[in-house]
Amino acid sequence: MLQIDKLSVLFGRQAVLKDISLQVRPGETLAVIGESGAGKTTLALSVLGLASGARTGSILLDGRELVGRGEEDLRTLRGRELAIVLQSGGEVLHPLVTILDQVAEAVTVHFPVSRDAARAKAGRMLADMGLRAGRQNEYPHRLSGGERQRALLAMALVNNPRLVVLDEPTAALDPRSKAEICALLKTRLADKAALLITHDLGAAAAVADRVAVLYAGRILESGPCRDVFAAPRHPYTRALLRAYPDMGNPKDLQRIPGRTVRNAPGCPFHPRCTQKTAVCAERVPELKPGGADGRAVACHRGGIIPCLEVTGLGKSFDSTPVLTDIDITLYEGETLALVGESGSGKTTLARTLMGLLPADAGQVVLEGNTGIPRKQFYEYIQMVFQNPGEMLSHRLTVREIVREPLDVHGRGSAAEREALVLKTLAEVELPADEDFLGRYPHQISGGEAQRVAVARSLVLAPKIIIADEVTSALDAGAQASVVRLLLELQERRGLALLFITHDLALARKVSDRVIVLQQGRIVESGPSGQVFAAPRHAYTRALLDAIPRVYGY
Amino acid sequence: MRIRRLTVDYGTALLILCSLGFILPRLLPGDPFLAIYGEEALLNMTPETKAAIISSLSLDKPLGEQFAAYWLALLRGDLGWSYFFQAPVLSVIGAFLPWSLLLSGSALVLSTLAGFIAGVESGARRGSRFDNFSFTGLMALGGIPDFFIGALLLLAFAVHWPLFPLGGAVTAYGGKSGWALGADVLRHLALPLASLFAVRLASVYLLTRATVVGLLGSPFIRTARAKGCSAAAIRYRHIGRAALLPIATTAGLHLAHLFAGVLMVEILFGYPGMGALFGKALSARDYPLLQGILLVGTLTVLATNFLVDSLYPILDARVRKTCTSATKQQ
Ligand code: SF4
Repeated sequence: MLQIDKLSVLFGRQAVLKDISLQVRPGETLAVIGESGAGKTTLALSVLGLASGARTGSILLDGRELVGRGEEDLRTLRGRELAIVLQSGGEVLHPLVTILDQVAEAVTVHFPVSRDAARAKAGRMLADMGLRAGRQNEYPHRLSGGERQRALLAMALVNNPRLVVLDEPTAALDPRSKAEICALLKTRLADKAALLITHDLGAAAAVADRVAVLYAGRILESGPCRDVFAAPRHPYTRALLRAYPDMGNPKDLQRIPGRTVRNAPGCPFHPRCTQKTAVCAERVPELKPGGADGRAVACHRGGIIPCLEVTGLGKSFDSTPVLTDIDITLYEGETLALVGESGSGKTTLARTLMGLLPADAGQVVLEGNTGIPRKQFYEYIQMVFQNPGEMLSHRLTVREIVREPLDVHGRGSAAEREALVLKTLAEVELPADEDFLGRYPHQISGGEAQRVAVARSLVLAPKIIIADEVTSALDAGAQASVVRLLLELQERRGLALLFITHDLALARKVSDRVIVLQQGRIVESGPSGQVFAAPRHAYTRALLDAIPRVYGY
Repeated sequence: MRIRRLTVDYGTALLILCSLGFILPRLLPGDPFLAIYGEEALLNMTPETKAAIISSLSLDKPLGEQFAAYWLALLRGDLGWSYFFQAPVLSVIGAFLPWSLLLSGSALVLSTLAGFIAGVESGARRGSRFDNFSFTGLMALGGIPDFFIGALLLLAFAVHWPLFPLGGAVTAYGGKSGWALGADVLRHLALPLASLFAVRLASVYLLTRATVVGLLGSPFIRTARAKGCSAAAIRYRHIGRAALLPIATTAGLHLAHLFAGVLMVEILFGYPGMGALFGKALSARDYPLLQGILLVGTLTVLATNFLVDSLYPILDARVRKTCTSATKQQ
């Protein structure tokens, strides 16, 4: 078993790894994922003492301390008890020696066997890894990327080590070789402790049992692979998943805003985090276990925060129930699509949430607080309606419409308000010249009017926007640009979107999770990929079947 | 295949170089006989000898026949007549060449071996005390011309402390044989060998060190460490192995340099090799002898380059494979 405790690695005065603690049990594969520059390779090399940086902390392999061991001592362990599959770029194999001899050398280095015996053993191991005898006497430059990877694997496994570290074993492989290597790893690593370092979330999901997310030298989240990928808790993990193209996730790729800041004080992610608070820049959050589910997250706020929690919400008109027992949790920076036919209660739900209609039962909690005064409430949550005409007064100019919430809430000086109006208009990609600012709603197009409505709802910088059929009055082009706008605001500001629509195709492209409403009840909910690919409720299937398809498949 | 192509290339070069010996004297204005033998030889020559030479070279015949006669003579091993030694050029060279081969061969082998090992040790431990010391030392040594080192050694170990003989290859009329003769030869060899060795050592060392330092960051070295290879195994089996090819290439190019060094050192120590012979031939203006020496020199350079070229595929599998596959495609 591998137990790493508070491992830090310094190159000069630059700490590349900070306080890394993790465990890998025999028979378990732990994937360490992260972007390039996170310190993944340093971690891989440090375990074997191959990194040139200075290590502090402790690395125990079956109770034996590896940190501080002499080179000669480590050497006898390397390749025998702990092996590594190095990143297969450039000349990772000796260019002038055959594959067979290179694998055989791994045997002769540690065991007093004859050259022939070592070769025989190497040959068997290579064959095991799927490299035919005819290919074994080749030189590395004659092999394909997949074959080289197999050779590296054979070299690492030939002495049957207890721990195997793999550094990007699937990088630069074509999809089929990648799938083959993943399958091979899955079976060959079954009885070993394995540390799989990769930026390839797909490979991690295919091979690993648990996953740890590394960012700027620290572990931000860890837990069972399946759970972490299905429901990430750390904002960075979610951002990483959103940037990764996956067949199971229909939502558009989203950027991670900003850039990695090395050696940021406090939480390493805070320069890019949309839900940071003052403490985030000051103290480093500990990686805290979250309970019995084996997950841990390093975040002062306990991970992605729920900004809106609705429990047991009910509403009737003239004793006819319109909404029954509605439970909704909306997380920071996510899009929750609320779908259903007209009459399913979607708009009533939106208005009840906004306090435009009184609820009969249940409660609404905003970021953990109940009973927030109205005025503050609207600084936190805003709504954009289906028909901008309903929201935009015809007697006000664009400037006045966008400025009005600021006036009502008495924010800033006149000059500050004006500046904020211009900034917000720029943010929704509208012109901010006098001509446009002076126009009335009927003088601008429907798409522009919807953007003005969005600008108006954004000007108070709310964390949540309830978007009720915001695009249903628009043509496809205008709709696409309003939707892109909302998702970009989500990237930048961590906006939580409750996206109400009857258009399931649209919901699929914008949402992280989806809720299906039928006759005022939630009949199905879950991650969008899952709900759209494998709907469980008959009503959801019926809705999906009803969508006309442009492409015919 | 590669070897066949090499043979054709080198054969052509050989033909051209040999033909030059025929063409050049005839391109000069005036009497080719004069150009081949020189004025001084003419003065020492009886008319009979002159007539014999003219007829053996067919100088009185048309150019085509002259060329044929030139090649026939060459193939017979007839390189001309050295009037200074009063013997055929070939037999004169035959008497001197072995000593040169002994001297340059042993200098080549010893300095390459020692320079390679020192270079690998030094490069692999770049920045260590050993590295700094040997780098500075050998760098300085490499800057000194070989005849100067030779002169220093001569003054120190033959004149001031007469540990070694002043010159020659064996003690004249020593009447030694067996082991005693061997020891005598070695004693004579020591100083000229040492001066050649010193200079060559520096150049092989510097080259090896630079190559090794360049290879230090190669990923396969990390792979070797990950396997658990010892430091020595990494230095020689992995780095040294990869460094051989560039070193062999450059060493081949430096051979001409070695021969120049041999020339100087032989003259300095009066060592009876090709260098000394060249010196004598030069001062006596023995043109045929000079030409013979140059021919032998050219052949040697050509032969060693051929050897290095044929070594490539053994040193580097990539050369071998690409060559076979290239010929297969043709
Ligand atoms: S909320 Fe704070 S601690 Fe949590 S990820 Fe954001 S910046 Fe880090």
